[in-house]
Amino acid sequence: MAEARIDRGSFRDPAGHVFLVRDKVFRTVMPMAAADYEAVRALPTWSKLMASGRILPEKEVDPTTLGEAAEGAAHVLEHPRLAHVSYPYEWSFPLLKAAALAHLELHMEALEGEINLIDATAYNIQFQGPKPVFIDHLSFRPYREGEFWAGHKQFCEQFLNPLLLRAILGITHNAWYRGALEGIPVEELNRILPWRRKLSWKVLSHVTLQARLQQSAVEKGGKAEVKQRKLPKPAFLHMLKSLHSWISGLEPADTGKTVWGDYARNHSYTDEEVAAKKEFVANAVNAFHPETVWDIGCNTGDYSKVALDAGAKRVIGFDFDQRALELAYARAVDENLDFLPLFLDAANPSPDQGWAQTERKGLAARRSADAIIALAVIHHLAIGRNVPLDAVVDWLVAMAPSGVIEFVPKQDPMVQALLRLREDIFPDYTEEAFLTHLQKRAKVVDSRTVSASGRLLVAYHRAD
Amino acid sequence: MRYTRKVIAGLGMTLLLVSTPAHAYLDPGTGSMLLQGLIAAVAGVMVTARMYWHKIKGFFGRGPAQKEHDENDQDHG
Repeated sequence: MAEARIDRGSFRDPAGHVFLVRDKVFRTVMPMAAADYEAVRALPTWSKLMASGRILPEKEVDPTTLGEAAEGAAHVLEHPRLAHVSYPYEWSFPLLKAAALAHLELHMEALEGEINLIDATAYNIQFQGPKPVFIDHLSFRPYREGEFWAGHKQFCEQFLNPLLLRAILGITHNAWYRGALEGIPVEELNRILPWRRKLSWKVLSHVTLQARLQQSAVEKGGKAEVKQRKLPKPAFLHMLKSLHSWISGLEPADTGKTVWGDYARNHSYTDEEVAAKKEFVANAVNAFHPETVWDIGCNTGDYSKVALDAGAKRVIGFDFDQRALELAYARAVDENLDFLPLFLDAANPSPDQGWAQTERKGLAARRSADAIIALAVIHHLAIGRNVPLDAVVDWLVAMAPSGVIEFVPKQDPMVQALLRLREDIFPDYTEEAFLTHLQKRAKVVDSRTVSASGRLLVAYHRAD
Repeated sequence: MRYTRKVIAGLGMTLLLVSTPAHAYLDPGTGSMLLQGLIAAVAGVMVTARMYWHKIKGFFGRGPAQKEHDENDQDHG
């Protein structure tokens, strides 16, 4: 029996914990949660919910399977392992929106069948390709007549408010969410919303009124009385339903859908050059036989799709550009691709953070790729962000055992655009230097110049 | 010297006394719970109002109108 490692993201809930044993995932159900666990699973709705695919599958196993870690547990569950774990501060607007809608749909369906969700944290949603899935099997308990929605404030802060930030003010949620971790506080969003937006009944009730009531409770020195009323189930369902229809209609305030169409064509290639580049990437991916490919600088997912067509089982894409990510998400959904495009500032990737700095893992700790593709990325880091070329190569090569990197030379129009308004302080940014750095760390297996400006594609296996 | 210290201590005490109560001991979900209390109250009023409406309609011979009752179920809140 290999050692069971506790998942540090699951420590808060005393009802049970998640353990990793090699490539398997187990969950303990402690005696305090056993009655609710059993009652929920006895309801006919539970099997319907599981069959709908909204919840990650679960299988009850013999507690001895987990060894010592199962000590004291009433039940032990086994779950399929997620290919990649992502956090809401790495999601684009449409991913956060899809997660919010999935959470509400799950809650409505559960509630109709007498099951309630005890919380509403965005970290309980993960993505398989562009499809959201709920992963906390101990968030359910039998519905009690008249009970309030305990997760309402959490839902507002972790889903609704970050969406409103972009939909009303045109500000992306990622930086704030990453700093605060638990979302965007109701009182703070209320302060920055323009007063005329508060005339909307929905904003007024979920943001302004909630913030005011909270504030008045603070002013009463914590002696505010929450009256012991009963919230009728139809009223509870109506809250969920009206939030669902509101969120369904939210779109970013700062982008029109129309600009997206031309976005993918905004590069300095000719059609033949694009074809040559695609062929090179397809051949390399085909030779690597990867299960998971990370596409660093995925843009709208053109080459993620090439990688999938060439045999990659899934692609996790990363990009800095929100519009590109939104278009990439739409492509993944429309074409039913196992492709998850995530937000990444490569010069400042997600850190280890949260409680004891182990609760939410940094990007490096979640590396899962068998191969990477990094096309038209290097110049953004080496010239756009002043990261030394060898450090950029180091970072990329460390990410996976194999990969394809594109080197964009200084004479390329895209690099010239980066240098137009600044001094060229990059005498060491040359193809020769790039190849020297790469060959120190990897064995080059293929290379080809794919554009008239001298862009070079290199396929490699890491030397380790 | 002693005087300065007294002034600083006095200022500190004043600040402690006039600052708004700390959030630390208040359940941060109180605002949401109060909001839902209002929703529950509104829903309660609507249920009562509808009950009387059905009674009035019944009195004028339109029957209990069970079907309408179902259709109106989503109108709470």
